[in-house]
Amino acid sequence: MQKIALPERPDWRARAEELGFTFADMGGEPYWDETSAYSFTLQEIEQDIEIPSTELHAMCREAVARAIDSEDWLTRLAIPREHWDFLRDSWTNGEPELYGRFDLAYDGSGPAKLLEYNADTPTSLYESASFQWLWLEEQQGLGVLSPDTDQFNRIHEALVERWAEIADQGTEIHFACDKDNPEDYATVEALGWSAREAGMGAHLTALAGIGLTEDDQFADDEDRVIGTLFKLYPWEDMLRDDFAPFLAVSQTRFIEPPWKAILSNKGILPLLWEMFPGHPNLLPAFFAADVEAALRGDGAAAPAVAAAFAAAESQLRRGHVTKPIFSREGSGVTLYQQGARPETNADDSYSHHPMIVQALAPLPEFDGFRPVLGAWMVGESCVGLGIREDRARITHNLSRFKPHFIEA
Amino acid sequence: MSQRKRSRHVALVLAGTALLGLSACREEQVDAESFPDLQSCVAAAQKNSLWFTEDDCRANFAAAEKEYLETAPRYESKELCEQEHGVGKCGGDPTQQQQAQNGGGGGFSFMPLLVGYMMGSMLSRGGGIFSQPMVQTANGRYTTPSGNQSFASNRGAGKVPSQVFTSKAAPTIGKPPLTQSAVQQRGGFGGSSTARSSGSRSFGG
Repeated sequence: MQKIALPERPDWRARAEELGFTFADMGGEPYWDETSAYSFTLQEIEQDIEIPSTELHAMCREAVARAIDSEDWLTRLAIPREHWDFLRDSWTNGEPELYGRFDLAYDGSGPAKLLEYNADTPTSLYESASFQWLWLEEQQGLGVLSPDTDQFNRIHEALVERWAEIADQGTEIHFACDKDNPEDYATVEALGWSAREAGMGAHLTALAGIGLTEDDQFADDEDRVIGTLFKLYPWEDMLRDDFAPFLAVSQTRFIEPPWKAILSNKGILPLLWEMFPGHPNLLPAFFAADVEAALRGDGAAAPAVAAAFAAAESQLRRGHVTKPIFSREGSGVTLYQQGARPETNADDSYSHHPMIVQALAPLPEFDGFRPVLGAWMVGESCVGLGIREDRARITHNLSRFKPHFIEA
Repeated sequence: MSQRKRSRHVALVLAGTALLGLSACREEQVDAESFPDLQSCVAAAQKNSLWFTEDDCRANFAAAEKEYLETAPRYESKELCEQEHGVGKCGGDPTQQQQAQNGGGGGFSFMPLLVGYMMGSMLSRGGGIFSQPMVQTANGRYTTPSGNQSFASNRGAGKVPSQVFTSKAAPTIGKPPLTQSAVQQRGGFGGSSTARSSGSRSFGG
């Protein structure tokens, strides 16, 4: 894994504009940044990212199977009790997942470490699947990159294939998001186009425009009943909204399926560590309530995790992060490193939720920037990569997107 | 290269502005013309028939009348009907009047009056010509029984989404997707964010 300075495509800004990539610059800083790119060997991509991510997803499915029948875990994950059956039914009925994104810390050596799983509403799909793909094609065309370079990016094709697997031909699918947020909108559009290519009907609807019919079905902003709904809106919120009591009776099929509420929750990190302790791609993780007194040194770890905590204690003391079980874009994340002042993301809007503690996997540094790898899952397989980097240790919503390629 | 790890192609025209996205999801537009009655359609066909004949007028007017009787909303009181369709724009249910004359029983219901019909050219879809009846809305506009499109007038030509003709008003029980429904309440999603912060934060991450 290397960071390589490259000439920008001379007309990429015009191209971005033409393609409606309206958020290529955000907050006065570049969001799409192709002045450099990350290069990988095929071995790094396959052995260190693709295979481990597919395995992590399989482990996550085991974690769902465990949590879905455990009152204790459903409670710890803050799933409202009245929705337990709703989640359980979606799991036992085998409702298939569409997509997700693992955030990994990786520097080209040693195993990639799972920071978190955006299993429910991951964004940056458009940049990863489409604009990044175009960058490689055009850089090859310009002779900047050799025609033998490649990219880990089968995302679009994999989505088309997945839609065809999980929905009958001609299924009318509604895509709901906050239309005023260009990033969310682009992610939903990328999905909508893949669904159309797979032979589905794709219809956009504003999330806030969804209505409830007299028969307790959901309807779009043109009053049409919603049969299948992709929502770029987190399950933890769906389960608490005014329409939550109608989720189970609406006859709507939801994508992601309701059981993803278990995975879109940082509480799965302690669950995974409990089920697969010492796994090379996992970091030691615990619920803060179980270990914070022990970490401070004025109490003991909860009995159930005492042994696991003791095994990880010195690693946690060297460095750890705390984060709320529900959080987006780095909100509420605080980073503690031995001998240094804690660093925290200023946005604490999720910090009233239960916290988890996770051992620190410091991000590698390249030219003053720290990349986080986004390993894209479609269905149960890892199919692509998107990278975001920042000067800060905690990646946030304005961090830059960087293209990557696989060496010839 | 033995094993390519990227897509053969991707959908490049995306991440559009709102317009781009919506146009992708908009139904095809077809030629349409509406008439208050059969005579005005026949007159138009005789004068400058572009895509329909007198026979089309007759056949489609009959189809629209039938459609009207099958799908126009029925109300239990005239007041309720007039609330939705305007004062003086409602009448009794003709099918029930027929039944009553034949000695049938049952309650009496009210329907918006048939105030015109609309024909659409579905030739580009391999279809031919389709029609829809028109009733009025409370604010004096004209609409098909399903209510999914409303028009300022019941005479004139223009382009309308093909869906006006392909998606008929449906019964209200067990509705399949993309048929019209009676929406009681909106805005039940997106309100209670676990982040409890204001502003334009992305819902994704």
